[in-house]
Amino acid sequence: MGRKIFSALKRDWQLWVMILPALAYIIIFCYGPMYGIQLAFRRYDFSKGLTGGDWVGLKYFMQYFQSPMFGTTLRNTFVISFFSLICGFPVPILLALVINSLRQQKLRRVVQTAVYMPYFISTVVMVAILQILLSPSTGVVSGLLKSSHLIPQSVNLLGTPGAFVPVYVLSGIWQSAGWNSIIFIAALSSVDGQLYDAARVDGANRFKQVIHVELPALVPTIVILLIMNMGRVLSVGFEKVFLMQNDMNISVSEVISTYVFNIGVQSGQFSFGSAVGLFNTIVNFVFLMIANMVSRKTADISLM
Amino acid sequence: MIRKKWLALLLAGCMAAGVLAGCGNSQGVGKDTAASSDTSDQGGQSGEKAEKESASTGEKVKLTALISKHSLTKDVNEMEWLNILEEENGVDIEWQQITADWDQKKSVMFAGGDIPDILFKATATTDFATYNGLFENLAPYIEAGDMPNVAGMFEDHPELRTLCTDENGAIYGLPNYRSLWPRTNRVLYINKTWVDALGLQMPSTMDELHEVLLAFRDKDPNGNGDTTDEIPLDFNGFPSFLLGCFGVPLMNESDGYYVEDGTVKNFRVDENYKEFMIWLQELYGEGLINEEVITQDYSKFQSLARGEGTTAKVGVTLGWESGDRFGTEVADQYVPLPALKPHADSDENEVYWGYYYDNNSVNAATVALSANCKNMEAAVSFIDDFYAEEIGIQVLFGGMNEVDNCIQDNGDGTYTVLPPADSSIDPGTWKWTNSFADYSPYYIADDMKDKLTMGEDMARVLAEREPLDPTLDLMEEKCDTYPAKFINYTTDENADLAMNQSNINNIVDQTYAAWLTDSTRNIEEEWDAYVKSVYDIGLAQNLEIRQTAYERYLEATK
Amino acid sequence: MNTTKALKMGFSDRLYFVCVTAVAIAALLIVLYPMYFIVIASFSNSNMVNQGLVKLIPKGINFFGYRKIMERADLWLGYGNTILYTVAGTLLNLAVTLPAAYVLAQSRFKARRFLMTLFVITMYFGGGMVPTYMLVKTLHLTNSPYVMIIMGAVSVYNLIITRTFFENSIPVELQEAAWLDGCSHIRYFWSIVLPLSRAVISVILLYYAVGHWNDFFTALLYLNKDEYQPLQIILRNILISNQAMAGTTGAGEGSYAQQYADQVKFAVIIVSTVPVLCIYPFIQKYFEKGVMIGAVKG
Repeated sequence: MGRKIFSALKRDWQLWVMILPALAYIIIFCYGPMYGIQLAFRRYDFSKGLTGGDWVGLKYFMQYFQSPMFGTTLRNTFVISFFSLICGFPVPILLALVINSLRQQKLRRVVQTAVYMPYFISTVVMVAILQILLSPSTGVVSGLLKSSHLIPQSVNLLGTPGAFVPVYVLSGIWQSAGWNSIIFIAALSSVDGQLYDAARVDGANRFKQVIHVELPALVPTIVILLIMNMGRVLSVGFEKVFLMQNDMNISVSEVISTYVFNIGVQSGQFSFGSAVGLFNTIVNFVFLMIANMVSRKTADISLM
Repeated sequence: MIRKKWLALLLAGCMAAGVLAGCGNSQGVGKDTAASSDTSDQGGQSGEKAEKESASTGEKVKLTALISKHSLTKDVNEMEWLNILEEENGVDIEWQQITADWDQKKSVMFAGGDIPDILFKATATTDFATYNGLFENLAPYIEAGDMPNVAGMFEDHPELRTLCTDENGAIYGLPNYRSLWPRTNRVLYINKTWVDALGLQMPSTMDELHEVLLAFRDKDPNGNGDTTDEIPLDFNGFPSFLLGCFGVPLMNESDGYYVEDGTVKNFRVDENYKEFMIWLQELYGEGLINEEVITQDYSKFQSLARGEGTTAKVGVTLGWESGDRFGTEVADQYVPLPALKPHADSDENEVYWGYYYDNNSVNAATVALSANCKNMEAAVSFIDDFYAEEIGIQVLFGGMNEVDNCIQDNGDGTYTVLPPADSSIDPGTWKWTNSFADYSPYYIADDMKDKLTMGEDMARVLAEREPLDPTLDLMEEKCDTYPAKFINYTTDENADLAMNQSNINNIVDQTYAAWLTDSTRNIEEEWDAYVKSVYDIGLAQNLEIRQTAYERYLEATK
Repeated sequence: MNTTKALKMGFSDRLYFVCVTAVAIAALLIVLYPMYFIVIASFSNSNMVNQGLVKLIPKGINFFGYRKIMERADLWLGYGNTILYTVAGTLLNLAVTLPAAYVLAQSRFKARRFLMTLFVITMYFGGGMVPTYMLVKTLHLTNSPYVMIIMGAVSVYNLIITRTFFENSIPVELQEAAWLDGCSHIRYFWSIVLPLSRAVISVILLYYAVGHWNDFFTALLYLNKDEYQPLQIILRNILISNQAMAGTTGAGEGSYAQQYADQVKFAVIIVSTVPVLCIYPFIQKYFEKGVMIGAVKG
């Protein structure tokens, strides 16, 4: 047995060397501080040190489950991330296919460069832009939508609870669809040229080539990204929601992460905050594992 | 080909470095922990040594300090008055200056137990209980006479001592105090040019104000031929000051809590609030209120009232000072209104305004000292100096010297706040640029009112509050103040208060927004269910905690 | 017969290209207009911007915002720091990520699944801010510029992307051939895999570089010294001036500079965003090469 391990080590030592830096990093910087998770089960007491507080078991979890905010935050978080995923996921793929099909190199380059740009805009600025463009009285975009009767005259896109999720999701797509398409464009760039030739010989037009050559080539990437996105089903970017929140939409915009921030960080309730955060993590992880398992069984593609 | 090699070389180098860094780090953990505990011990000893040495040789004592400053505030190392103060105290301070997101940084830094020697404008009273042991108790120093200026302040205003003393008699953060400040933050301005242009009377009740607003909406008061560009009434968020007019005595209100007849109440469940909301909803439904009162950010709120050139856009609005609120072009069109009674037959003795004197003149925990400071003596004396008479005004308004040029010493015991040396900057910005400004440690005694001539902006602030003076005088005479700032809570109480308040705010803010903007909502019908839900989600408990603490406070100050 | 078929195909292809071009142009306009708006807002009168009068052409043109930021020494210092952190940090990222991804792509490597799980867990579980802060403090990395380079040395997300690429786009036959030639892992990785992976390298390089450029939180938590602050912190300091003013107006002070702050805000967005946009054209060349490799490979 020992000899077996030894010979495996001898055979693979180069691989171990190559992975060592990455491994060392996550062990020190990610696993090192993980003892902090116990904060969720202890009553935080500064004078006793970070983990010296009394053990209270699941008290903070129960407190959260019984709180009236539990249902609200859970539902809001799920709704926002669900629609972000459903609406946001296909767009970069379509965009990549479109960009890849453009024949004029100049146009292609312009489009490609332009659609990446919004990603570089910080969230703070992004929300400021939304407020300017969607203002009910002076906003250019809301004015346009109203004059073309796409939305009712009286609607305030920044205030109506029903508008929050669409605005959040669509602005998210605006900002990151181009960026997320990079990975698909890269995958398309490695499609074997012979496959196109073969398809052409079979009489497939350009559109059919997309369906029969390009889409299948994207499948592994799509599945992997989808699995990873499933693992985020209960996580919504904190900053943007936080900045977009106002009194009129708070009923749909208070998500778990903003709640953790409001209670855990701003009010200094570290233990309660940790417990809510940990609950969130566990749910995400469960979803990830399920997605991974399903994908391994059905498509033989998996993360782990 | 050559480039390829170059790239390869670079990558190889990086990789080697990466591997080394990896190894280095993993060994580093153990070593560094050991090393750091060593050095901190040594640091303790050498610190004491340094203290003794510096006392004998007159060498400067090195301290570290952190300030959470306003984004307009310049690098504090460039403040001459501060340099002089450090010089006089024989200290050399290494400053850490935080402009943004201190709240997020703070909890991590404090919980990590890693703080500089002195913290300015960076602590809240609740921190001292949460991070028990992190801060130095200043009470013994005050007793021992090491902080004469602070002791003097407490003698003049014993309530300030109560404010900062916890249940065990310890003082971790020092408050500030200033006379000179107005009793309320907001004035209701009306565009007099519009009133005159339409031949209207100045309103004397809320009902008359309603009529005026209707005229503003329909009759093109700014005379540019466009009847749609006027906004009759604008405010930002919730106009609690107007709520006062409907009979809620907001004496130093905080989070909606106030005291009436010895009982802590919250206006969000008060009948007067219901009346007020019905009134506001009607105005909003008639298009008299800016559609964006809840969603607009502060910068938009400000620029709207500044009009377009000399064409004003807003009829009636709340503000701090006309120059600030309306800019230079249209400010002269606006005049302040007194507190208006709701209807012609309302009782004038039940018309109030938001009275915020304590909120404006006192702040808790403006400065704190680390329990791990190596040179307490120097730090304590440095902090105490901020409370000296001549230093205090410089902390608030900027330096009194040739370089800073913010205050002039008239030589006869009086001082004058100078107009900005750079004439393109307004006095408010100038103050926030050159000083620590508000929320800092200072003591500006009551007699400073007669000794200090303030800048034109502050003079205007006070003048514009004259119409409100009768109301505020009346409140001082008959209403109970709610000394929220001076009341201390236990850690558990604080945790409950914070958790409940967050839930309460969720409901009240959301309901307020819905009632205001949706005229189909029947406030009268929904009221009872709403009140019940607010009580149930935590208001009942919070009122109880606050009532107990309020009584505790009254007992202690008897 | 053949000609009619060719014509028919030509038509459907043409239709396809017209549609694709139309979609691309629509996307272009939707993406560009808001950014165009920021540009014109940066040199228009900010009151007019807030009142919605600036739509297609700038009005009340002035360069106050730009002049104001040119005066700020801290902005240029932040610029320098950010460039340094981005270059050094990205190189470290690549040096750590690429070999690790190669190892995780080795289907014969026994420990691979275990290691992968180890990595993926860190995407979800963490010790929280406070324990991490204490670790960084113990390593003497607080208030040190190194923290900006070392933190986030591996992004598991990028690691997975790279691994997927290696698994799917590098033919297994190549490795078998290399094995027969007695080629070691390190040499094979170095001289075969890397040159074939320009496309994915340029992708993750861009991901990492932008991450470093926009990194705000690391500096917020760990750096207190002005001389090490990156651009994003300076940017944030300028941008929040609005909110800070709103916050202080409990007592109404400091809002006077409002009008100017707005313009500075827009100008700062542009000055800080433009450089990172300039990385792309440089990278694009490698994208193109990646495409060529893909074509030649077969």
